[in-house]
Amino acid sequence: MTEIQTLHILNKSPEHPRFARCLSIAGPADTILLIENGVLGLGAASDRASGKVMVLAPDMAARGVNSSAELAEIIDYERMVELTTRAQQVISW
Amino acid sequence: MSTLIVIDQPPYGSWAGREALDMAFSLAAFDQPVSLLFCGAGVNWLRKGQEPGTIRQKSVEKNLAAAPIFGVEALLADGDDCKRYGLEAEQLLDGVTLVQADSQLFTNYSHTAFAG
Amino acid sequence: MQDSSPFSFTLVITGAPYSSQAPQSALSFAEAAIRAGHRVDRVFLYGDGVQLASALASPPSDEPQWPREWSTFLEEHGIPGVACIASALRRGLVDEGEQKRYELPASNLRAPFTIAGLGEWVEGRMSSSRTVYFHGSD
Repeated sequence: MTEIQTLHILNKSPEHPRFARCLSIAGPADTILLIENGVLGLGAASDRASGKVMVLAPDMAARGVNSSAELAEIIDYERMVELTTRAQQVISW
Repeated sequence: MSTLIVIDQPPYGSWAGREALDMAFSLAAFDQPVSLLFCGAGVNWLRKGQEPGTIRQKSVEKNLAAAPIFGVEALLADGDDCKRYGLEAEQLLDGVTLVQADSQLFTNYSHTAFAG
Repeated sequence: MQDSSPFSFTLVITGAPYSSQAPQSALSFAEAAIRAGHRVDRVFLYGDGVQLASALASPPSDEPQWPREWSTFLEEHGIPGVACIASALRRGLVDEGEQKRYELPASNLRAPFTIAGLGEWVEGRMSSSRTVYFHGSD
């Protein structure tokens, strides 16, 4: 598995200014993890992100959001913990 | 291990910026390298001539002016956001460095955090 | 390149319970970290997050009691929980020491949370493998 340069944890809805800013900062070697309200921006993130996009399953289920795994990897808290250990840096937006 | 503390919310209407300043000054007090980045509406912290006594809050202008003495390495402000808020160079506090808040900038820091 | 050696985490919570999801996301993360064999060195409450240390939260019985959920977790695993003194005092979260110092009518800090300065956060950043922040989403 390749190392992640920066893991961006994005809990803001796509309406929040930090959503766009996170997407503009994240690079191709980074991973964006959408949690909480951020899962509502799955489509926008998948379109704009140059690196990987992942999304937290419980927050998707809570909001009734379904997605095919093609748009983003759907993960659980265990995997979220693992991602934080694999990234050189973790930024919570 | 240099830290970037980011302030993207404007002063006085909420406390996130003050709490970010406290984080930066605490790091400096422990001799940890730290810089402050003001972006988005947060650039308004850097406007000269703030008089928050009118709304019963304390000004941070003196704290920010003293930042280098306290050990904060740099006060960075996104140039585009300063322009958007009509902040010309003369209106900015002394000691502010204009930057592009892009992915390149963030790679210079091993730790980046918001206060909230 | 599988690195399965244990990591240590400092978790910072800045979102309040019942105003944000931060306490729930952070608890789910912390529980998963423990299950994976990692250590949680400390939990630091900052800004509105200090509300998580309130002994007086009284949600309806069919909702999670977030301060109690967290205090149970901290006590079960022997993890220190610290509320930042500046954030806590401003928002009316006080322990017995601060109650005496400021001659307040009551104290309301829930055990095992304690009150301390930002130095705890700086220490966590320096000594833990990872510091992860859980903010509100406003």
